[in-house]
Amino acid sequence: MPRLELHAIRKAYGAGDARVEALREVSFVIDDAEFVAIQGPSGSGKSSLLSICGLLDVADSGDYRFEGRSMSGLNDAERCLLRREQIGFIFQRHQLIPAMTVYENIAYPLQLQGESRRSIKPRVTTMLEQVGLAHRQAHLPHQLSGGERQRVGIARALIKAPRLVIADEPSASLDHTHAHACLQLMRELNQQHGASFLIASHDRFVMDHCDRVLQLADGRLAGDAA
Amino acid sequence: MSLLIAWRNVIRDWRRALATILIIAVGQAALLVGGGFVLTAYDSLQEIAKRTQGQVMVVARDALAVGGVDQRLTLTAWQTISDALWSDPRVVRVLPRAEFEGLIRHGALTATFSGTGVDAQNEFKVYGPFLNIPQGELLTPWLSPNDMAEVMLGEQLAQTLQATIGDVLTLHTFRTDGSAVQLPVKLVGLFKTGTPELDDHTLTVTLDSVQNLLGHDRISVLSVYLDLDVNIDEFQQQLQQQLGEQARVITWLRGADVYLGVKALYDRIFSVAGLIIIVVVFLAISNTVALAVYQRRDEIATLGALGAAPLTVCRQFLLEALLLGVIAVGAGLMLGYGVASAINFAELWMPPPPGRSVGYPLYISVSWVHYLAIAAGLLLVTALAALVSVRQATRVNIARALS
Repeated sequence: MPRLELHAIRKAYGAGDARVEALREVSFVIDDAEFVAIQGPSGSGKSSLLSICGLLDVADSGDYRFEGRSMSGLNDAERCLLRREQIGFIFQRHQLIPAMTVYENIAYPLQLQGESRRSIKPRVTTMLEQVGLAHRQAHLPHQLSGGERQRVGIARALIKAPRLVIADEPSASLDHTHAHACLQLMRELNQQHGASFLIASHDRFVMDHCDRVLQLADGRLAGDAA
Repeated sequence: MSLLIAWRNVIRDWRRALATILIIAVGQAALLVGGGFVLTAYDSLQEIAKRTQGQVMVVARDALAVGGVDQRLTLTAWQTISDALWSDPRVVRVLPRAEFEGLIRHGALTATFSGTGVDAQNEFKVYGPFLNIPQGELLTPWLSPNDMAEVMLGEQLAQTLQATIGDVLTLHTFRTDGSAVQLPVKLVGLFKTGTPELDDHTLTVTLDSVQNLLGHDRISVLSVYLDLDVNIDEFQQQLQQQLGEQARVITWLRGADVYLGVKALYDRIFSVAGLIIIVVVFLAISNTVALAVYQRRDEIATLGALGAAPLTVCRQFLLEALLLGVIAVGAGLMLGYGVASAINFAELWMPPPPGRSVGYPLYISVSWVHYLAIAAGLLLVTALAALVSVRQATRVNIARALS
């Protein structure tokens, strides 16, 4: 069973003359542990597609299936629960919670799942070591470098072993060295945890490391290359 | 851990937090100091009322008029009631008082008066600090039959009559049968109630003098002074049961027109001031929370993307508002207590209020019940204000906020 199946997804914003068709009949499938990039110019619909795949937004029409289950008709609480349990997010601007330490940011998704402190601690400690931030666990986000913040973001997305990871321009705010390191980390964790990755990026380097590259243009799927 | 995160969020924007804390703390301090002043005023007026008329009063069955005690001389056989009351261990003092009116003459000068006949032996013992004798002395408790009756005049009345201590004046009044009677009296002292409208027409003589003048032994009221720990309402009910139809027993509150009037006025003023402060606190907190929600939309969206339910997000903002409220209320308690203590320590005096000729010491009551009630009320207002504003957090569009 594929992890994601999108059939004829449409999404538009605004009304009348201001109406913009962000996605037009987009269809594709992503399998387990696939590492997929979405490429396209600004305004091509990448963010809309990620929002729908990440259950942050709903399609106007079409069918979106996550592990065979249709996402159409889910209410806010059900989408929230699926995000909590199954989906990890890596944001372009890391989006760490400023008032939480590195440890607390990474532990937060597990707290939301109702895990006990005792079960959270070893998992977070292991993840901190994997991303090389064990020595920074008590620091607040503003005390970290850009690369470190992004690594915390990746750790936070993967700590709950999600089935799907949505990454929006994860290397955009990083220099080449940090971008390379982060991508390597994501790839390693993809292979260890078996999560499917859907990464929006303009970065050639990112695309070179992905299993597939989906090309979006003007809201349509213009290419799907391995 | 949520509390620690709430604290970090509070101090993240410390200027706004400080401004909010100051608004609440100053508002609370104003309530505490203002409330303390009002409580002191209530206590003082209660004390004056109880000292001047007793905690409980026995009057004739038909002596009650709407709005207060009709002071006609209608209480008969009061000596029996008085004797019985004196034997009650809860009773400290029983004072008969006879109110009467007439004219007072000194040489060619005449003025109307409102007089009270009192038990000179006990009457002046109950006034405590409220007894103000600027000139002369108190009435002599025991006069021999050959001695001239004595009188004490209000200071202004003495001025009107140009009377000085030792002068002989004449009281003129009418008996119930319509006959005019008069009594020469020697001026032994002046008193000052602090209310010029009283001091310009009141006088005090002994009860014997009034009874001799009027030809009967009826009185207006029997004032009963109780031990401080006696339940006044309970005593009043028991005494009423004992006396039955013989007389009417009322508490001090029934005749405390000044206390009730001032209390009603202060209650209104304090309610309006309190309402204004509550509105200011409500707006300060709701504004702070609304700004925080607006500025942290992307954080709210991130929490939502991670799977935090809207209620979880709102709870965090509520916790922050309550933490802010607790800090502010703590600061307000300290500020209020500090200001009240400083005022009390400075021993300031207030100018005479309207209708009074003497000022009074400014004392701010510190009642922990009052303090805790106001603190709890403000925390409740804080929670309500935060609840109103925090609802915006549930309306943040996650996808739009993160794009």
